Amino acid sequence: MAAILLIEDDPLVRRGLQLALRGHGHDVRTADTGEDGLRELRASGPDLVVLDLMLPGIDGFEVCRRVRESSAVPVIMLTARGDDFDVVGGLEAGADDYVVKPVQPTVLDARIRAVLRRGTGSADGVRVHRDLRIDTTALTVTSRGEPVSLTATELRLLLTLSRAPGRVFSRQQLLEEVWEHDYLGDSRLVDNCVQRLRAKIETNPATPEYVQTVRGFGYRFGPL
Amino acid sequence: MTWRPRGLRARLLVAFVLVTVLGAAAAAWSSAGSASRALVDSTQRRLTETVADQVAAVAPQLTYPPDQAALDRLRAAAGPNTLVTYRDLRSVDGADTGLVTEELRGAVRDRGRLVTQRIVTEDDTPWLLVGTPVVATSPDGARTPSGIEVYAVRDLSEVEERIDGLTESAIGTAALALPLAVLLALLAARGVLRPVRDLRDTARRLTAGDLGARSEPQGADELAELTVTVNEMAASLQASMATMSRMQADARRFAADVSHELRTPLATLTAVMEVLETAADGMDADANESARLAITETRRLVRLVEDLMEVSRFDAGTARPRVEDVDVAAAVRDCLRARGWLDRVELAAPAGIVALADRRRLDVIVANLVGNALRHGGPPVRVRVLADREQVWVEVTDGGPGLPEEVLPHVFDRFYKADAARTRTPGSGLGLAIALENARLHGGDLTAGNAEGGGARFVLRLPRHGEDA
Amino acid sequence: MRRIWLAVVLVLLAGCGVQPSGLADAGDAPTGVAPGVTLYFVDPDGRLVPQLRPTDRLGTVTEATSLLLTGVGSDSELHSEIAAGAPPRVVVTTEPGVIHLMVPLTIHDVTPLGIDQLVCTALGAHVQGGGSRSTRVRIDFVQPTRESDVRRTCPLIR
Repeated sequence: MAAILLIEDDPLVRRGLQLALRGHGHDVRTADTGEDGLRELRASGPDLVVLDLMLPGIDGFEVCRRVRESSAVPVIMLTARGDDFDVVGGLEAGADDYVVKPVQPTVLDARIRAVLRRGTGSADGVRVHRDLRIDTTALTVTSRGEPVSLTATELRLLLTLSRAPGRVFSRQQLLEEVWEHDYLGDSRLVDNCVQRLRAKIETNPATPEYVQTVRGFGYRFGPL
Repeated sequence: MTWRPRGLRARLLVAFVLVTVLGAAAAAWSSAGSASRALVDSTQRRLTETVADQVAAVAPQLTYPPDQAALDRLRAAAGPNTLVTYRDLRSVDGADTGLVTEELRGAVRDRGRLVTQRIVTEDDTPWLLVGTPVVATSPDGARTPSGIEVYAVRDLSEVEERIDGLTESAIGTAALALPLAVLLALLAARGVLRPVRDLRDTARRLTAGDLGARSEPQGADELAELTVTVNEMAASLQASMATMSRMQADARRFAADVSHELRTPLATLTAVMEVLETAADGMDADANESARLAITETRRLVRLVEDLMEVSRFDAGTARPRVEDVDVAAAVRDCLRARGWLDRVELAAPAGIVALADRRRLDVIVANLVGNALRHGGPPVRVRVLADREQVWVEVTDGGPGLPEEVLPHVFDRFYKADAARTRTPGSGLGLAIALENARLHGGDLTAGNAEGGGARFVLRLPRHGEDA
Repeated sequence: MRRIWLAVVLVLLAGCGVQPSGLADAGDAPTGVAPGVTLYFVDPDGRLVPQLRPTDRLGTVTEATSLLLTGVGSDSELHSEIAAGAPPRVVVTTEPGVIHLMVPLTIHDVTPLGIDQLVCTALGAHVQGGGSRSTRVRIDFVQPTRESDVRRTCPLIR
């Protein structure tokens, strides 16, 4: 049960998705343009935004960027299949996940729930690694004493990796654990999220300390 | 004649030279011939007249009937190599008078006129024989033979030498024409052959697919007409090719547009199907069944449109593989597990076969092959993964009756259904076509055949190190 | 093909050199032999008649006309109507178609028949020596007279 803002220009698709998501127990508000959506976002403060990329006026990418400027609210994009340009652009604009239209409501609901699930279910207190302090109970992160604002997905990625410092996670594993995708998950979600996370917690994102790349396999936390 | 020049140039050259030289030779020969005839005639006339004149000049002074002295005088007047006879009397000078023929003597006696004859002796020396009777004329003009006959033998070697000179100069003239003829023939051949070569080059370019190739027609001869015709042919070919490819592109764009337009309503339908599904449980039986039919067919429609759009992307060349290192055995296993096929398929896949591939597209291929085997073939369905250093093979076989011979060439055709009665299968009819395109996108391929046991056998081959490895 | 070439070469070769020929007519035979010269005199009936003077050969027009001037001879019924006594020397010149006799006589030394004697004798010798019968004779007398310009022909030789 979440408060969802659906930004979609086609009235019938919008209505259909609203009905379907309502059937899954969500409270769905809608907007038909990017401008409307941003206004509604400020007004109602939803738990999550489902955003169609093809919008009249300011497009989905721009909407996503503006959302990210002011808020850590999770964003799930609706894209056309096979349109890699949409996927890459959307992820770079800060989207947490994407689904391909036409989407089955069950699938979308699963993604929504995954993105909204902030914790990993294993709250074990506070993990401190050098200047990075991760509170697994309060779900807050500070770097050199400064609080870091992470989206739900970024936080879950950090929690998953830091649970076992030094252990290597493949992209596939991370997709299944963090995004709860099946075996066909898009590894670009991982790479993109890692980059955004590094930008927020690393001193120098080009030579990361905390989230390190294991070439040809995946990522690991540390070793520190 | 066993040897014939092959090339057009050589044939033109030989023909031209032959005609020119023969013409020159004929002209030279004919002029030399008439000149030598005229020379012989005039010489002959001169010699004959000389003999006649000399005889006539001395005749009035001869005693008649003549005695030996008169004959000698007459013979001396007629010049050397002369024989004069009167009945039994003879006056001879020179050894060559023996050449005088009986034929000539008879003619002189019978005709009573001046007679000549040319002969050529064994040693190729030409001679002129002049024979004449000396006639007696009465004051009133009546002519009677006097019985005196004069035969003169004259050597024509000098004439022969002059004729030989004429012939030689004729041969020389003809020979002079030879280099000139060769030169002219070369020039003519070049003039004729250049457009031919141009045309050949154009035809080659057309054959190679350059439909814009044209030749510039030169002049107004048959070659120019041929060039114009070839150009017209190329233009019409180009036009129809352009029309065809435009129609093809139009058809593809139409397919892409149609699928794209279908996506929006399908998105709505997909969204509300679940709501309908939930609500259907509470409906009466007919409404429930109707709702379920609508749901099933909508899902089929969604799959069909998605497949159509995928095909459109292949046709448009916009499909790009997103390759990463994939454990092929794990990918196949995941594919089967995700569809709940693991317990219906015998999988032989050694772990650790890693290939550079698009995970989603590989899944599409395997799911399609295994799905077909499970639906159309008979158990047992086997999947084997094999590899060497460069390639990896995924082989899917079934225990069914196999693919009929007439079907084999068409299994990868779009919307090809082997069994006309089985048109209502869950597949879109595009599955194998898409699988093949996906295999090719990887730089691999997909082949269909029958296994030794009789079942259908599909083999996917992928390069392990990407398309260019 | 080979045969055609051979034929061409043969034809070309045949054009070279002097070829034998058959018998060919080359015109009238020369003439001029005769057992003597023919002179013209007048018989008792006043007719012009030829007389063969056996000189063994024909001789020239000059010789014939000169001989005519010497007279008919003794044993004959013929006579000459050319005055006797003139020196028997005639100068003969010829130009195309005309024989020119310069006689040592005046027009009064001859009768018309005498003139015919001169003309016929000259023309006869001319024809016998191969000359044309249509040749005319002009007699040049020692004294100027219009008769000298007449071109004459012999009534017996047509």
